[in-house]
Amino acid sequence: MLGPATLFVLAFLLLPMLVVLRYSVNRYVPGGLMLQVFTLENYAHFFQDHYFHKVLLTTVWVSVVCTIVSLVLAFPLAYFLARTRSAAKSLLVMLVVFPLLVGNVVRAAGWMALLDTKGVVNSTLEALHIIKAPLNIMYTTGAVMIGIISIVTPFMVLTLQSVLEGINYSVEEAALNLGASPIRTFAKVTLPLAMPGVIAGTSLVFILCMNAYATPVLLGGPSFQMMAQTIYDQISNTQNWPFGAALAFVLMFVTVALTVIAQMFLQRRYKSAE
Amino acid sequence: MVTCIYGFLFLPLIFIAFISVFSNRIISFPPAGYTLQWYFNILSQVQFVTGFVMSFQVALLAMIFGCILGTLAAIALTRFSFPGKAFLNMLLMSPLVVPGIVAGTALYVFYIQITELFGIRLAASLPGLAFAHITITIPWTVRLVASSMGGTDRSIEEAAMNLGANPWKTFTKVTLPLIRPGIVAAALFSFIVSFGNLEMSLFLVGPGKTTLPIAILQYLSFNLDPTIAAVSVVEIVIIGVAMLVTNRFVRISSIV
Repeated sequence: MLGPATLFVLAFLLLPMLVVLRYSVNRYVPGGLMLQVFTLENYAHFFQDHYFHKVLLTTVWVSVVCTIVSLVLAFPLAYFLARTRSAAKSLLVMLVVFPLLVGNVVRAAGWMALLDTKGVVNSTLEALHIIKAPLNIMYTTGAVMIGIISIVTPFMVLTLQSVLEGINYSVEEAALNLGASPIRTFAKVTLPLAMPGVIAGTSLVFILCMNAYATPVLLGGPSFQMMAQTIYDQISNTQNWPFGAALAFVLMFVTVALTVIAQMFLQRRYKSAE
Repeated sequence: MVTCIYGFLFLPLIFIAFISVFSNRIISFPPAGYTLQWYFNILSQVQFVTGFVMSFQVALLAMIFGCILGTLAAIALTRFSFPGKAFLNMLLMSPLVVPGIVAGTALYVFYIQITELFGIRLAASLPGLAFAHITITIPWTVRLVASSMGGTDRSIEEAAMNLGANPWKTFTKVTLPLIRPGIVAAALFSFIVSFGNLEMSLFLVGPGKTTLPIAILQYLSFNLDPTIAAVSVVEIVIIGVAMLVTNRFVRISSIV
């Protein structure tokens, strides 16, 4: 019974991954068939070329900022959803899930409408005579960040909420009753207890950010590059499969490594807080 | 504060819907007037019509096959114990972990390899896209049906067996009706996941064989106008309806 599903995952995910891993050590011949060799030159190419360093650095920088901002935004909402006794709770959770399911292209389109030089934000500010010339918000790193944050925040909210639901409110009440300030209660009681959710949420969101494609393409403009776009260009446009494959594995490796380091760091902080 | 965060999440959706009824083709605020003509205009844009048809077909295939494969696997995982079970479970969840862009790259290269070896063309074809989408729906269907199996009482099945029902009859008459909500939710959720997928499909489409999200992305790279806003609203409505129907079978808040 497990056979068919397992076979599917093996045939259409793991086997292709192995094939592409093999391709990443082949030699690219411009305009010709690649050579079946064993070389690390594609990886070396990545580590030697400053252009690709910059792309990776931009990707990591945008991902770190977006992960932190989405954590800050998501925490109050997740806390509210976990604590509310409102009859509309299920509806409120659905309102978080809905944007998530709509997909990132449509939401990026919405941000384009808002941030464009003739968009809502600029038109409103101009009409109110706050600014004279339209602000260049579109095609900046900031626009990309806004877009990505709005896409990943629902994931963060849902992950945090599931952990916050399990925290007994009376522990917080006890801290407050014993004279701890709300801020101290949050820092010393709520946050340490919510740490598994924070770790799970930030890991998930960071991975999503690192692999973002549609938002940087649409909101970042032609000169802004993140890893996912670069991989797509190498595979589809340049047709340099060995290098594209190597880039895909670099991206995956860096993402996993940073996620694991961050998890260890957070876990240690959380242990020492106990 | 909570309202502000909701506002931030919904702002892009609200404005895309707002723009879709602007009467002027070039977007400027405030609009000169309002119209619904752009919604009719969609039908004359062939890439959106074919994109929609393609996405719908792929999502339907992913839903049917993903559900069958996922249900079988979920039953095996929850009802039997065998060595390597945890590993197999992890394997079936792996499509959730591998980034779409990496999986898409891998699958594209793999498809071309298959074409070279066997002459079967999978890249830029309906079966090729469907295989990819079935794979990404498997973790969801396994998870949804397994959680629904976990909620059923094993003794009811045992009672049916003791009363002389054979395993097949027990399955169709007892187990299946019990887990039906889980299966329906899995089906609809697969549809949503497949219909909205972008990163993995990106590599697997071709001229005339594009899915709706990719058709929208390509159009948006050149222009933002009320027509694309109207197309976006259509997608929002489809996803919204699918989600509301899913919610009737299983609480969305407990599965995502």
